[in-house]
Amino acid sequence: MIRHLFKLVWNRKRTSALLILEIFFSFLVVFVVATLGMYCWDNYKRPLGFSIKNVWQLRIETKKSDDQHTPDESVTYARLLKEVQSFDAVESVAGAMGAPYEFGEYRSGMMINHHDVTMEFNEVTPELKDVLGLRLVSGRWFQDGDEKLSWLPVVIDRDLARDAFRGLEPIGQRLSDPVPDGIKPKPEMRVIGVVDDFRRAGELSGPGNYRFDLKRLGNPDDRPGRVILVKVRPGTPASFEEALMARAQGVAPEWSFEVKPLTQLRESAFRLRLTPLIVGGIVAFFLLLMVGLGLIGVLWQNLLQRTREIGLRRATGASRAEVHRQVLMEQILLTTLGVFLGTVLVAQIPILDLIGFVSGRVFAGGLLVAMVSIYLLSILCALYPSAMAARVQPADALRYE
Amino acid sequence: MIRNYLKVALKVLGRRKFFTFISLFGISVTLLVLMVATAMLDQVFAPEAPEVHGDRTLGIYQIGLRSEQIGYTGFAGYGLLDRVLRNLTTEVPAVERTSILTVQSTAISYLDGKRVESWFKRTDGEFWRILDFQFLEGQPFSQDDEKNGNHVAVINASTRDRFFGGKPAVGKTIAIDGQTFRVVGVVKDVPVLRVVAFSDVWVPISTFKSSTYHQDYIGNFMAILLARSSSDFPAIQSEVATRMKAAEAGIPNKEMYKWITGGADTLLGAFSRIFFSTNSLADSHPERLLGVLLLIMLLFMILPTVNLVNINLSRILDRSSEIGVRKAFGASSWALVGQFVVENVFLTLIGAGIGLVLAGAVLSALNASGAIPYSDLHLNARVFLYGLAIALFFGLFSGVYPAWRMSKLHPVQALRGRQV
Repeated sequence: MIRHLFKLVWNRKRTSALLILEIFFSFLVVFVVATLGMYCWDNYKRPLGFSIKNVWQLRIETKKSDDQHTPDESVTYARLLKEVQSFDAVESVAGAMGAPYEFGEYRSGMMINHHDVTMEFNEVTPELKDVLGLRLVSGRWFQDGDEKLSWLPVVIDRDLARDAFRGLEPIGQRLSDPVPDGIKPKPEMRVIGVVDDFRRAGELSGPGNYRFDLKRLGNPDDRPGRVILVKVRPGTPASFEEALMARAQGVAPEWSFEVKPLTQLRESAFRLRLTPLIVGGIVAFFLLLMVGLGLIGVLWQNLLQRTREIGLRRATGASRAEVHRQVLMEQILLTTLGVFLGTVLVAQIPILDLIGFVSGRVFAGGLLVAMVSIYLLSILCALYPSAMAARVQPADALRYE
Repeated sequence: MIRNYLKVALKVLGRRKFFTFISLFGISVTLLVLMVATAMLDQVFAPEAPEVHGDRTLGIYQIGLRSEQIGYTGFAGYGLLDRVLRNLTTEVPAVERTSILTVQSTAISYLDGKRVESWFKRTDGEFWRILDFQFLEGQPFSQDDEKNGNHVAVINASTRDRFFGGKPAVGKTIAIDGQTFRVVGVVKDVPVLRVVAFSDVWVPISTFKSSTYHQDYIGNFMAILLARSSSDFPAIQSEVATRMKAAEAGIPNKEMYKWITGGADTLLGAFSRIFFSTNSLADSHPERLLGVLLLIMLLFMILPTVNLVNINLSRILDRSSEIGVRKAFGASSWALVGQFVVENVFLTLIGAGIGLVLAGAVLSALNASGAIPYSDLHLNARVFLYGLAIALFFGLFSGVYPAWRMSKLHPVQALRGRQV
């Protein structure tokens, strides 16, 4: 049966090749969109590592790059933190370089145990743990007196502990940041604790390494933070925002400020990441609709051309169901060939490790969705033409010649 | 001849309506997507109000500061741009005007306790003479306002609606970002895709809260240079590169960065520089970005093309007797290829027409949805011409192979109506 089908396909190899090509490209389109969707979904289900309930962000714009700070700016920043804390509506306040869901990030790369490890990092005050509800897994979090240590205490997330120390006990390990010539080297970093996986960029971002450095407020060498995270008491009215802004502006008239609840940043982060997916999905949908209609037309026309062949089969005793099945099987064979080619091509991604962020699960999911939808599309499009073909009367075949 | 081809084509299209429908559906959807994309690119790059002189404007959009180990890529500081542009118009006559401006940032105001977010941009007076804003009332602020640090502002129509309920705003004050400005002019909204001009509120640079920005090499500034003609671009670009090189002596944090990268680019060049992380001073290779855009377009067109080729091929049977007759009467293969390609292009153009109407609807829906702030996406002559070019290319691309296969039909078999 299979050999016979291959023969039929081979006999009309140019037409078949083009159909296979069309299925192949459709498969690729679905695969790309499905994999991106799977990637987002897979990330969404992972633990986030923090909670933004009742947390507001006060963003500071100094109109300067990070390495141009003056010591009194650090002092202003520390005063600002104190002032914000003095509001009745405020539960806790933390200083940091970056806030959850923000677009920009601070990254660094270093050699740890002879391999390159890159990570996102943040300089934070000890209160961040309460503000964002971080969960400590082992070791300890920052505490009073840490800012006076001769070394720099850091807390890392589980991903980084796994990636950097590969099973070794992370607590007490040393890290050193590479520094360009001529710049005062920072003190050595030592890991004092590990928190749960922390994905600052939000639910839709991939897993990644994260490091918290202690922001030493009294230290003139340390740059001022870029944001202040404020956890307010439940039920704080939105008008609190204006009061907060006025107070901040009073402390630091030279800086610009922006206040937003983190839920708002979360919304824009989602929009930013989902828009391309939605646009891609709509375009892919129309492409598939177009392919579907095209396949119906082509199959119908091809079967019309094969009236004699089908009539002959019917005359020699084949039932309608058998003809129907033959046509469907032919279509499934073509689809399989196209899907096979597509799979061979996309299999190069994990084999050659082309795109780092696609995990095996996401890849397999994307592949499965692509296969199922292409087979479904293909079979659906073959149903009507094959039903038409099965209706061919043996007499038609004879008359045709 | 062509008229006959078209007559035949119309007849054929009318004969098999289902096929005509699926062909046209595919073509129009494909061209719809491409035309919407073209309209968006047009809004970014085409010289239209307020960037009317976009075709003879260069910009220093992004710079880099580098040493052997580390690098900064991003917006420049005022100090660097001021140093590079100082006296440029007098020393290089090919440069008509220069302007320094900040990147727009969001700024907050409170109206009766309600928070209002606006885009906020600081510029000098020359900005208003390089770009051509449509003023609804008042006028731009001048270079003198910039020199004296006057707290004046130009706002757009939407901001006037938000702050003043749409009533005349000139002479009134607006509190924003912790400062108060007197409104001197109101302009028509500028689409966000106009990256240089776009903002809600424009104020003089010198109203910055602190004056430390004067020396900085890193900051949130960019500059635009109006050339007398685009043929002067290479000369201006090399002069800017020379001045950038000379500015290296003044890098404020010398122990950190040693040299400067980046230069005066066209807008396309600037995007190309960012996309490919090009670091050279002079050349930003805009053609590479064009190449990438074309490649994306081609990749997108593959599937619709294969689909159309398949449909076209299966219609051969319809035509076999016609082809047989024409061949039997001595028509050459070339004549037949020509005929079918013309037919296919004709079909694509009909599809393009439908696509164009649909694109117009999609674009106005996009504008109305507010997904892109103040977007003014529309079909104009330029987009239409690009669309026509894309449609012609698509028609040829998808028509040649089926036409060649059709012309290869053997006349005897064709007359018998055999399969190909």
